[in-house]
Amino acid sequence: MKKTTDNPAACLLVAALLLAGSAALRAADLPHVRYQAQSTNTTVTIQGTSTFHDWDMKGPSIGGYLEFPAGVNNFDTNQATLPGLKDGLLPVTGRASILVRTIHSQVEHLPEVMDGLMQDAMKQTNFPVIMYQVKELKLQQPRAAGQPFVFDAKGDLAIAGVTNTVSFPVTIVPLDKTKIKISGTAKLKMTDYKVEPPAPNILGLGLMKCGDDVIIKFDWTLMQTAPAAP
Amino acid sequence: MKRKKNSSEVDRRAFLKNTSVAAFIAMMGGVELAAPGAADTNQPAAAAADAPLTVIPALPAVNFGVIGAGVWGRKIITTLTLLKNDPQYKNTEVVAIAETYAAWLTRAFTYAPKAELFANYKQLLAKPEVQAVVVATPTHQHRDIVLDALAAGKHVYCEAPLANTIADAKDIARAAQKAFKQVFQAGLQDRSHPHRHFLAPFLRAGALGRNVLVRAQSHKKGTWARTATTPARTAELNWRLQKALSTGLMGEACIQRLDAVTWFLGGPRLGGRPNFVTGFSSSVLENAGLEVPDTVQCVFEFPEGPNAPVRFLCDATLCNSFDSDYEMYYGTDSAILMQPGNDARDSKAWMFKEVDGAFWGWEGYARQDAFGAETGISLVADASKQTALKKNDPGASAPTITEPIQYALQSFMANAGAIGGAVKDYEELFGAGDTADYRSNLAAARKLTLSQHPAAGWEEGLEATVLAIKANEAALLKQKLELKNEFFEL
Repeated sequence: MKKTTDNPAACLLVAALLLAGSAALRAADLPHVRYQAQSTNTTVTIQGTSTFHDWDMKGPSIGGYLEFPAGVNNFDTNQATLPGLKDGLLPVTGRASILVRTIHSQVEHLPEVMDGLMQDAMKQTNFPVIMYQVKELKLQQPRAAGQPFVFDAKGDLAIAGVTNTVSFPVTIVPLDKTKIKISGTAKLKMTDYKVEPPAPNILGLGLMKCGDDVIIKFDWTLMQTAPAAP
Repeated sequence: MKRKKNSSEVDRRAFLKNTSVAAFIAMMGGVELAAPGAADTNQPAAAAADAPLTVIPALPAVNFGVIGAGVWGRKIITTLTLLKNDPQYKNTEVVAIAETYAAWLTRAFTYAPKAELFANYKQLLAKPEVQAVVVATPTHQHRDIVLDALAAGKHVYCEAPLANTIADAKDIARAAQKAFKQVFQAGLQDRSHPHRHFLAPFLRAGALGRNVLVRAQSHKKGTWARTATTPARTAELNWRLQKALSTGLMGEACIQRLDAVTWFLGGPRLGGRPNFVTGFSSSVLENAGLEVPDTVQCVFEFPEGPNAPVRFLCDATLCNSFDSDYEMYYGTDSAILMQPGNDARDSKAWMFKEVDGAFWGWEGYARQDAFGAETGISLVADASKQTALKKNDPGASAPTITEPIQYALQSFMANAGAIGGAVKDYEELFGAGDTADYRSNLAAARKLTLSQHPAAGWEEGLEATVLAIKANEAALLKQKLELKNEFFEL
């Protein structure tokens, strides 16, 4: 202990380590940019199958926000890399939310009936919101210069009161100086969320049973709303 | 009797809707959809599976307050109450009525027994459960009520004319424009009438040939003079006969015609806004000596453009009821008679062809009705000869016999519910701040719902109100007045 104290070089090393440790402690509080969800240029589509024909439902809005390290420069494709990227992981916090009641069937006849079936199956009264909490964004490599940033997104998806961790690829492209669009496709099974696939009865033909597998496609527009925090 | 007719009509519409779906299902192989849960859950599973699907989706619930319970206000309350008979509009509820005259308030209550009654409209506006209000007070009272209602966050249906002065009408229009989270509907009923929307593109497609002349009238036998037990109440009742408060026959009797004709001629963007009006007026019967004449004629001229040199003649009287209300569009190839739906009559139209008019082909299959020496080709969606052969009633081919006010209130209910829902959805997801994104989102929602439930907004309301006010002024002065663009601009 004494020896160390008497050694100026060691003192410098300790000081440097302390500083580094301090910096590491502040990593979670790095200056960040916040992107707020926008309703324009945002859509979510749920595609499914049935014993009769394929079906799809659409919703116009995804709420929520995302926060990234400051300086990502709106995911400009000219950036070689992104600030804060470490081992391919981009620090991110945020969530996306969809109101079940805003998702509507695209069938031409009696779409409201299909909406009702879906809302009942998803227990809309008790669980009106589909929520996705992002935990990790891992940049897909290699990435060619000028190409958009493609990540493997990992997070918790809560549907009808059941939460599962899911992963799916997302592409982030800049729309203008302040807006970005995140597009992605996720494949799910209804039964993983204890959602019973709807099975309306067609008289004379029997049950029209919906398939368990669904594909969720989304385009989510967000706008930078706050300057980097100090 | 009238109400019974409406009630059965709603059933007929619901029936038609169901049979259309049934026809579609039949095309798919004669099957009918039955959803689990649509049937009575107490029934055995096999019985539930056999139950036909009778789901007619209901629009979101809207609680109405009606301000003004005179003759027309009570008509509106009755219509709103009857809307509940239609499964689609079953969530309509009149929850409050405001009226300063106690006897009218009591009478109105019989049509809406669940309504809370108020002598002061501000008490009604303070009720958070009232989501939408219909303003059916005398015209000169609209401004303050509408401004207060919009400030209170209510959706507003304001009877036409919007106001008795251009300044007041502009105040209403400005407030409505600013209230981007709310629905404002002007009481121009033809804008919500499906038959009018069927006819508008037909007329603009060139069926008339070249436009020559438009004539419209509103003829009734009667008087606007009312009597009451006190001089003060009599004066209050006779607001229509006071120059300072009234828009005269052009405003109180003809505004629906002024709006319909200028709309069909293209509106302000397509040369359908007149630039001059010349008026004439006289007092023939009971109104002699009173301030407002009982017979007026106005001639509207249009600027250079698609409608020049067409003139629009509009006349109204309280001294003769012959032919009631109609519009007549004259062209080089044909003339089209449009009979607006008033009271229990529904909107109808006929085309009278010139011998040298172009033959379109479909006329051969259309039903024809005799009008003296003329033959009118019926312009309704289902007026084929085959349809007529099955029905003895010459008016039976009309698509519905629903009164125009019902269509207007249906649109108001649907749009208020849709925009109210969009506001709730947006604020739940994105917050309540006034942002460009919020406005854009609601503008898209508004466009969508109006495409399904068309209605007059503040722009159409202001346009028609200014026309009525200036036409009334021209008639009183018996002069030609310029209709300057600045009158219509905010």
